[in-house]
Amino acid sequence: MVRILLISDREKLKERFLKLLSLNKYHVETAFDTQVVSDLVKIAPPDIMIFDTGINLDFKVLSKAIKPFCEKAIVLLLTAEEFSDRELIKYANGFIPENANDEIILGTLNMNLRMKNTLEKLSDTNKDLQDSLSRQSALYSTSSQFAGTLDKKKLINFMVEGIDRALSFSLTCTLSFCEDEPVLLINSLHELSEEIISALKLRTILQYKSLFENEKIPYNVDINNLKVIKHIKDNASRFTFDIFHYDNMFASIRLGENFYGCVEIFKESQFSSDDATCFQTIVQQVALPLKSASLYQEIKETNLKLEKLERLKSEFISIVSHELRTPLTSIKNALDILMTGKCGDINESGTKFLDMAKRNVQRLSGIINDLLDLSKIEAGKMDFHFKSINIHQVIDYVKSTLSILAKEKNLTLIIDETENLPDINADSQRLEQVLTNLVSNAIKFTPEGKKITISSRLLNASDIEVHPYFQDEINKLKGDYIVVSVKDEGIGIAEKDLLHAFDKFAQIENSLSRKVGGSGLGLPIAKQLLDAHKGAIWCSSELEKGSDFCFAIPVATGKAVTRQETPVLTR
Amino acid sequence: MKKILIVDDEQDIVESLKFVLEASDYTCYCAYNGEDGLRLAKEILPDLIILDVMMPKINGYKISRLLKYDNKYKNIPILMITARSQEEDKLIGEETGVNEYITKPFELDYVVEKVNQYLKES
Repeated sequence: MVRILLISDREKLKERFLKLLSLNKYHVETAFDTQVVSDLVKIAPPDIMIFDTGINLDFKVLSKAIKPFCEKAIVLLLTAEEFSDRELIKYANGFIPENANDEIILGTLNMNLRMKNTLEKLSDTNKDLQDSLSRQSALYSTSSQFAGTLDKKKLINFMVEGIDRALSFSLTCTLSFCEDEPVLLINSLHELSEEIISALKLRTILQYKSLFENEKIPYNVDINNLKVIKHIKDNASRFTFDIFHYDNMFASIRLGENFYGCVEIFKESQFSSDDATCFQTIVQQVALPLKSASLYQEIKETNLKLEKLERLKSEFISIVSHELRTPLTSIKNALDILMTGKCGDINESGTKFLDMAKRNVQRLSGIINDLLDLSKIEAGKMDFHFKSINIHQVIDYVKSTLSILAKEKNLTLIIDETENLPDINADSQRLEQVLTNLVSNAIKFTPEGKKITISSRLLNASDIEVHPYFQDEINKLKGDYIVVSVKDEGIGIAEKDLLHAFDKFAQIENSLSRKVGGSGLGLPIAKQLLDAHKGAIWCSSELEKGSDFCFAIPVATGKAVTRQETPVLTR
Repeated sequence: MKKILIVDDEQDIVESLKFVLEASDYTCYCAYNGEDGLRLAKEILPDLIILDVMMPKINGYKISRLLKYDNKYKNIPILMITARSQEEDKLIGEETGVNEYITKPFELDYVVEKVNQYLKES
């Protein structure tokens, strides 16, 4: 029923209005005294206030006093014909002339009431719109927060913050399995007693278990050892057990098979269906980044393990090699002493076997050195001394050290260098090691009487053509390179074996390669050394026709290569 | 005759070094651990010491440091035998006053040559 307050002390007028309005089903009260009016207004704010301007009461003063308690009320002024204080309109919604007939009075009231209703509806709609807008923006900022981290603990906190922004809860209980142990996160407006916390623990655990009625629960939770983390906004006041009568919602954080926890939220006022949707959305949204975070963590852990294994392997090789060197030194020394003849003369076949022993000691020590080199590079402990050099020096050095070996096997060593090649930034000793390895391989695998060609060229990375197996290697290169090739007429490598030519211990299965021996580490070492030079190595070959091993080193750009450390293998 | 002290826990290595050095007319004293090595060094005041790095009780660096910081022994040349060839080892060696490095596996001739260098010069 519409409530009307008539402020007047004129009995005749009061009587007329009371009669007219009551007949039309309005609830009418009258008052005159300022105190009485404000009391009435405070107890039950009227929908319409009719103020008689013809009485001895200052409307402006009264209006100020009661305005805060009846902001939505319609104020109508009852005026005499000669009324002139137009100023008063500021305080009122309209005027009713004292002598107006009943229809005009009722019409004015009706019109104003309708306007009031429409306005209220509008403002409600507006409020709804505002609410949904703020929820949208809360959702939006929460999802961008989710995208920004792979830390599971932070993700859960962002979720609670997001729910708070969107729904402004009184209390949330989050059971999280995103840390080393289960955690109950309590975010509350007010302080909570130990008893309430115990009750919340129990309630949350029961709800969690009820999610898996006929299945095995994914994580065991022990109520006595459940870790609780509290965030209280206002320490000064406390929640009572009434909190359990608040409206609440519950949701689990899961993605398919993956379960991360569950959340319960309490609020003093009722949740709307929009609130429920919003709550579900946020809780569902956090599951995906949690899954990513778990995967990321797994990958990180696996990587750490692999790195540790790799390091252990390198250390193991290094230790074993060092241990091998000591007895090897003793064998070598003993052989050397015997060969000097200082222990007595040795006959011809004795010398032959001593030579054999010596040769194999040297071979063994070569293998150990290769192993040590490789483990050093892989552990990132090899030192490089980069400086500007010309490839000519390197080729020259290798030619002078290996030409005797080639001659012994009656092989022709052809050097086909391009003149005036630009300098490269390199560790000359390491490059000599690479080229020595390639050329001595060629000597090993090429039958007597044939030829080996060492050539050098200047090529742009885009002009280097390789077998598709090595295209990835070449794609890394950019700019100008010095390309050195070692071409032999040896036994060659089958196409299927090309790809493994630079793998560790991958001596290609072949009777001859067994016969010539070697550690099978020369090429992998060469590859690592070239990686450290930001270069590349590859080969092409045809069975029974010969192989062509090539490597590329970037042309010096004037700036010295500052890199000192070697790449650590992540394999 | 010049006196050389050989300290190495690897008896075979001591044996072969002793053989070639005696063949080159040096008198050799041998110790098979760091403790004995240090004691002998002080007792016989050798003209040169060949020292292994890895030894039980007192390692080569320690012996080297103890001798090089003592005026009485600091002028005795020390040749250090090591199974490693890492830069950091050389740094420790420099700090402890090692004169020369010999990496395993070494050539006996090379060791004799180095010894001659130090002892024939003085």
